[in-house]
Amino acid sequence: MSASAIDNCRYCLMCRHAAPVGHVMHDEAVTPHGIALVAASVQRGLLEWNTSSISALYAEPDSGNCRAHCITDQRLPAAVAAIRATVCAKGLAPSAVYKVHERLVRNGSAFGERVFASGGAEAALFVGDEAHNLWPDCVASARQLLRAIGTDVVPVGMGASTGYMACSLGFPDTARDHARACIEEVRITGARMVLVLAPVDLFTFRQLYPERLGITWPSEIALVDLASFLAARLAEGVLRLHDGQSDAAYVDPTHAVRAQERFAPVRALCVAALGRPPRELFWRKERAHPVGSTALQFSRPGIAEALTRARLKDAQATGASSVLCEDPGTLYQLERYAPDYDLKVAGLYETLATLTRA
Amino acid sequence: MEGLQAAMIRSELEEVVGAGHISTDATERLVYSTDWFWLPQMWLDRGEALRKPDFIVRPGSAEEVSAVLQIANTYRIPVVPWGGGSGSQGGALSICGGIILDTKRMNRIIEIDERSLTVTAQAGINGTQLEWALNEKGLTLPHYPASANCATLGGYLSPRGTGTISTKYGKAEDLVLRMQVVLPDGHILRTPVVPQHAAGPDFFRIFLGAEGTLGVITEATMQLDYLPAVRLLRAVLFDDLGAAIEAGRLIMTRRLDPFVIRLYDPRSTASRIRKILGYELEGAYMVIGFDGDADLAALQEQKAMEIIDRLGARDLGRGPGESWWNHRYDFYYPPQSLKLPWMYGTTETVTTYDKIEKLYYAEKRAVEEGFKDWDIDFIGHFSHWFHWGVMVYTRFIIRNPPEDAQAAARLHNRVWNTAMTAVIKHGGMINEHHGVGLKLSRFMRRQYGDAWPLLERIKQALDPSGIMNPGKVGF
Repeated sequence: MSASAIDNCRYCLMCRHAAPVGHVMHDEAVTPHGIALVAASVQRGLLEWNTSSISALYAEPDSGNCRAHCITDQRLPAAVAAIRATVCAKGLAPSAVYKVHERLVRNGSAFGERVFASGGAEAALFVGDEAHNLWPDCVASARQLLRAIGTDVVPVGMGASTGYMACSLGFPDTARDHARACIEEVRITGARMVLVLAPVDLFTFRQLYPERLGITWPSEIALVDLASFLAARLAEGVLRLHDGQSDAAYVDPTHAVRAQERFAPVRALCVAALGRPPRELFWRKERAHPVGSTALQFSRPGIAEALTRARLKDAQATGASSVLCEDPGTLYQLERYAPDYDLKVAGLYETLATLTRA
Repeated sequence: MEGLQAAMIRSELEEVVGAGHISTDATERLVYSTDWFWLPQMWLDRGEALRKPDFIVRPGSAEEVSAVLQIANTYRIPVVPWGGGSGSQGGALSICGGIILDTKRMNRIIEIDERSLTVTAQAGINGTQLEWALNEKGLTLPHYPASANCATLGGYLSPRGTGTISTKYGKAEDLVLRMQVVLPDGHILRTPVVPQHAAGPDFFRIFLGAEGTLGVITEATMQLDYLPAVRLLRAVLFDDLGAAIEAGRLIMTRRLDPFVIRLYDPRSTASRIRKILGYELEGAYMVIGFDGDADLAALQEQKAMEIIDRLGARDLGRGPGESWWNHRYDFYYPPQSLKLPWMYGTTETVTTYDKIEKLYYAEKRAVEEGFKDWDIDFIGHFSHWFHWGVMVYTRFIIRNPPEDAQAAARLHNRVWNTAMTAVIKHGGMINEHHGVGLKLSRFMRRQYGDAWPLLERIKQALDPSGIMNPGKVGF
């Protein structure tokens, strides 16, 4: 599959309109076509893996935008991750990549420490690395919302990397270790349902694991998107909220295009949180661009920043004074640069939690 | 280019665009060394290196383009404008090195005039992104090329591109009202506010089809339309290709105003339609569409169907027509598209109705007989219809070309020579919408005959140092 995607994408320009990095960098070499052509050229002896070519290789954001717009479903992000694995194994990857890998191996986390769950419940809330270490308020708010509808959850995977980051950087063995650890922790709780906070985890558990790591999420444990779950309870009248009031713009989180069934439910929650439909970015829904919350934040921080700033500029153009999102990784990146755009950053779960009625 | 000269030029270019917008990186230069022309792609595929640009420069304004061209003139180095890199003719190849001028930083929409129905945008804006922005206001730029996802507005205009719905709305060149152009000496000019007037000759059209050999288009004002209330599509099947062409002619000359007539020859019907849409049919598959207000479109369709019925076609209904519309670009996604290691080329041409069928068969015969040892496949569709004639998008495919790059290049050029000789001999143009680029450059003198020296004089007057996209469009 990997060789085929490189071969098919190297001269294909059909996802250019939706490819985020090429759009913000204006550079052919960091488009899906450009990156595939670099990889194909190394295979043909026209280039070698060196600082320059590896820099292009690590510009692929692994956000799913190219594949979401590919009618022949070329798995270029997976192919690039596989090539990065060979580059990493040869010791050729950027030093920042090895540094974050060390943390991932040592702590099971790219951002802090991992904490293992205690106790059990019918349902678990998968917290993950970003929520636990970068945007912890969303976890308490999510639990408050779930309590309000009578769903008790045990938090799992607190500070745990799911394997997405290691896989995307080029360390599939570490990614497998993380994946197995996450699944094992969920199993120990006895949960039959795992709620996830954001599309990144939905994608990782249901798609990345089987496609890239050869690991299958246990069929007896239902994977449920928290936003969709809450939106359904809201529609049923089980989740009862006071009226919200804000003119915020909604930022589709990184990886949104990999879980397109969430577009409507998450917007229903936004309406509840804001008291009106959110202001919409130009790069939204099917064409939603990521912020720099992927492996780019370590491997190509300049691109990560450019992506995040592009989303903030997009939000600013809507006339909004704040931006709303549910994904802790996206929120963290947005907040780093939001003051430059006179924008405030708010978590969707936190906003909803403040509106909870008894 | 190396050493002191390269350092001198780079430092001057950096002063214009900033160090972050210029690259001499080897990897980037390789990526920019090919566009969508089969020949350079094959060359890289076989592990052969291409001539790379020396500098990739990304200007952010017409003023920066101007300054870059002045530097290029000082040092007499080539400048190749670059949009999406989606040209199939080699028009963006830096065959003499020099500067690739990537216009994609110039991607702003300057104004959408909802009263006059125009948009003014910088030339580096991506086609689909522009269309998305217009669609948010219920508007459309009715130029729907298959390359829209990657091509830029400048790339629409520079090779005189044509889109899927040109039969009603015209080619890109018919939709442009005004342009900003930077001449090779750096002079920035704006063409008159509207194209239809009687205040002197229509000079601005010389930049359309010049493919960056006479200057750089940096901004354009384009005519828009409202998104249509309906699009009525259906497909019909003709036993006889000649009858199908005649149906198209009658529909056009009676001004029934279809937005699309896409007629596949029997070979394309059996191969491409089967592969992409899944219909197993024998004959000539035609998709016909009418758009706009529902009642008017329905009446136009009814009149067209009367003609089609009279000429003996079988109505396949709306489903196959709508399926084609919904999947019209699927033909271009690998592995469904034509792709390496195959050899292929699109020898599209246009001529008047009295000549088109003879031309099609003459080219088909010449190519099929000339290269039967290579088991060459010749397919085509008639897709851009005018009041006076039609364009035929003919393609050749060789599934087992020579492995050796040099031998493959020679065979490729021989097929093109054969095809273009047949086209010119039978009154066709060497191209209708892909442009000339490097691929067809050698045929321009033959195509234009007595008129060619005039084009050469224009080139000499505007670009005396010959820096602009050398080797292309016959220059």
